[in-house]
Amino acid sequence: MSVPGIYHDGMTTRVTRVVISRVDDSLQWRGADVAGEAALSSVMPSARVIGVPFTLLLPDGAQLQIAHDDMPPDWFARSHRIEKAVDRLERMRSIAWVSVVVTVLALIALFEYVLPWTADRIAYHLPHRLEVAMGQQSLAVLRGRVFLTTTLPAERRQHLQALFDQFAHGIPDLPPVNIVFYSAPMVGANAFALPDGTVVFTDDLVKALPDDRSFLAVAAHELGHQAHHHILREVLRSSGAVVVFGMLTGDVTSLGGMTAAIPAFLLGNHYSRDFEADADSFAFQTLAAHGIDPAAFVDAMRALEKVHPELAADKQVRYLSSHPVTAQRIAKAEAASMAFRQRHAVAR
Amino acid sequence: MHEETLGSGIYLPEIHDTVFNRAEDAHRFEFNGSARDYFRIWIVNVALSIVTLGIYSAWASVRTRRYMYANTLFEGSPFEYLARPIPILRGRLIAAALFATYIMASHFSRTLQLVTMGVIGVFMPWMIVKGLMFRARYSAWRGLHFRFIADYGGAYQWYLLVYMLMAIPLALSGLLAQGGHPFTGMVLFLAGFFLFYPWLKGNQQQWMAEHHYFGGKSFRFTREPSAYYRIYGAALGIGVLCMIPSGILMGLMFNAMVKSHIDPRQHSIPVLLATYLCIAPTYLIMWTYVHVRMTNALYNQASLGRYQFESSLRFWPMLYIYLGNVLAIIFTIGLAIPWAKIQVARYRASCLQVAGEGRLEEFTQRTSGADVAATGTEIDSLLGFDIGL
Repeated sequence: MSVPGIYHDGMTTRVTRVVISRVDDSLQWRGADVAGEAALSSVMPSARVIGVPFTLLLPDGAQLQIAHDDMPPDWFARSHRIEKAVDRLERMRSIAWVSVVVTVLALIALFEYVLPWTADRIAYHLPHRLEVAMGQQSLAVLRGRVFLTTTLPAERRQHLQALFDQFAHGIPDLPPVNIVFYSAPMVGANAFALPDGTVVFTDDLVKALPDDRSFLAVAAHELGHQAHHHILREVLRSSGAVVVFGMLTGDVTSLGGMTAAIPAFLLGNHYSRDFEADADSFAFQTLAAHGIDPAAFVDAMRALEKVHPELAADKQVRYLSSHPVTAQRIAKAEAASMAFRQRHAVAR
Repeated sequence: MHEETLGSGIYLPEIHDTVFNRAEDAHRFEFNGSARDYFRIWIVNVALSIVTLGIYSAWASVRTRRYMYANTLFEGSPFEYLARPIPILRGRLIAAALFATYIMASHFSRTLQLVTMGVIGVFMPWMIVKGLMFRARYSAWRGLHFRFIADYGGAYQWYLLVYMLMAIPLALSGLLAQGGHPFTGMVLFLAGFFLFYPWLKGNQQQWMAEHHYFGGKSFRFTREPSAYYRIYGAALGIGVLCMIPSGILMGLMFNAMVKSHIDPRQHSIPVLLATYLCIAPTYLIMWTYVHVRMTNALYNQASLGRYQFESSLRFWPMLYIYLGNVLAIIFTIGLAIPWAKIQVARYRASCLQVAGEGRLEEFTQRTSGADVAATGTEIDSLLGFDIGL
């Protein structure tokens, strides 16, 4: 069997048309002023790709080119086995659609399970020193710019501090925590958990909360972030999402990279919503364990709504928000409160 | 800009500006790829890459690049992509590790982040050389591969040291601003920037073209410095013109927000997206313009032996293609990427030709050249460093 081909000598750009044939276990080619022969096993063929001509690298550095459709299937039946399998998949129309589905499912699995799981395993193995460094880094950035010296009276602070310490003391498996107060007019009424164990309350929040129990409800939520190392885990998860997206799209700074930043950002929000819900249920449990009705959490949310009216449920779009919608959180707190009261009624 | 700059991801030899209209001396490029075939190859390889957690991606990119290369023909002979997957995989893993370190460093300490940035900056010219060497070494035509001569000194000069010159107008404007003349400082800085940047870009193109070899001959480059001032001057003008409608649009948007009492902090994502929509067209227009003119400048000033290259990309057709691509990719959530790449490759090949008497058969090569590691090429493609090919 013989096929037409092109001979390149590997040293010049001359093109010689040849006829290539296989005789037993050797390959022969013949053209206007070239002719040669090589053992089939000494020839290195290129792998099969739709429409791409085959290049057969000869032992002396020269090469033969055979148009894709001219290549007899039995000449190099045993080379490039994996690529041959891939090539077969690429030729099937149904596989193209299967691939679309597989890609979508695999992406969901990757970002919903694989990436968070891996990030969490890494987070639990990192030394606490790192979290301390992170916390100090963020405090150093915020202090003096966003976080200003507190204006709360000293006795009020000492009272809350003692309350917080006593509350945190009774929680098992909690990393070392401490509470600080700052005046932060730019953020308004809010509380933050920093990765080094610092819990920040803004003056506005302290003033907005009606009583000690609602203060503890907010503190319990923030302690939930601390107990489960949410900040470090979130940083690892969203950094992972950025890296994976960057690798998938091939580059990170161009037009393509800029569009990849949007899904990475949305994913970050998705992860943080999970953590908020987790911190909420931690808060309900801890409050109940301290004998405080989780209804305190509802009071805190309502107080927050009063100072931040834009938080009211109907104005928020669920998928675009980093916190679960307030109404949902309140509903969950009320359910927890109901369970708490039932248990206490039974105990009595 | 890597993928876009390369168009099809294809390495095309550089070129020279002369008017050769005799048809018998024009050697044409053509692109024969089909979106249908490329889609099939691409989607299977994307799926396999994700399922194997990225390991297969090295094999995938070899397959997809081979398709694009083989379907780009010059004088009837296809280009060939010869790289092996394993070095690409190694390069990709190193690039991912570096990138991850950089991202993570920003959360832990400012110092660590600056150090990572510094390390990447210091090694960037080295990686650019490695990347160019890799791409040249594994791109072949008629059995001969291209070569890039490792000139680290030149790379450090044109991709690191010259940027430090930028510190002079910056420092001057800083001093003036301190001395109570912030406006003069600003004008001085902008003037310094516009004197400096086109000059720099021209020299980078020259450096890159002249260190490429094919068939024992080096590419030559006759640089006309004023051409680059024209390109960037026009780009600036276009940018200012585009800013007017997008500024008006943004103004309307914020006005509407204020009127309906929407707090942008509560709707950060929709606001971000809307801002993005206002700015994106300006970005696309300016980028396309610079890309078209710079590609033409590169090819039209370069020659190889007695062959002179001619690139005649035009702004409007290119913008039309890019706009169509962006919209198609957004509305198909990425499924149109193969189609988009084919469009660009076809248009670019149709605008490129080589003029010169001869049958392109006199190129010779003695040594086959050693292997080149892929680290540089993977890092520069991840960080998207614009090397302007």
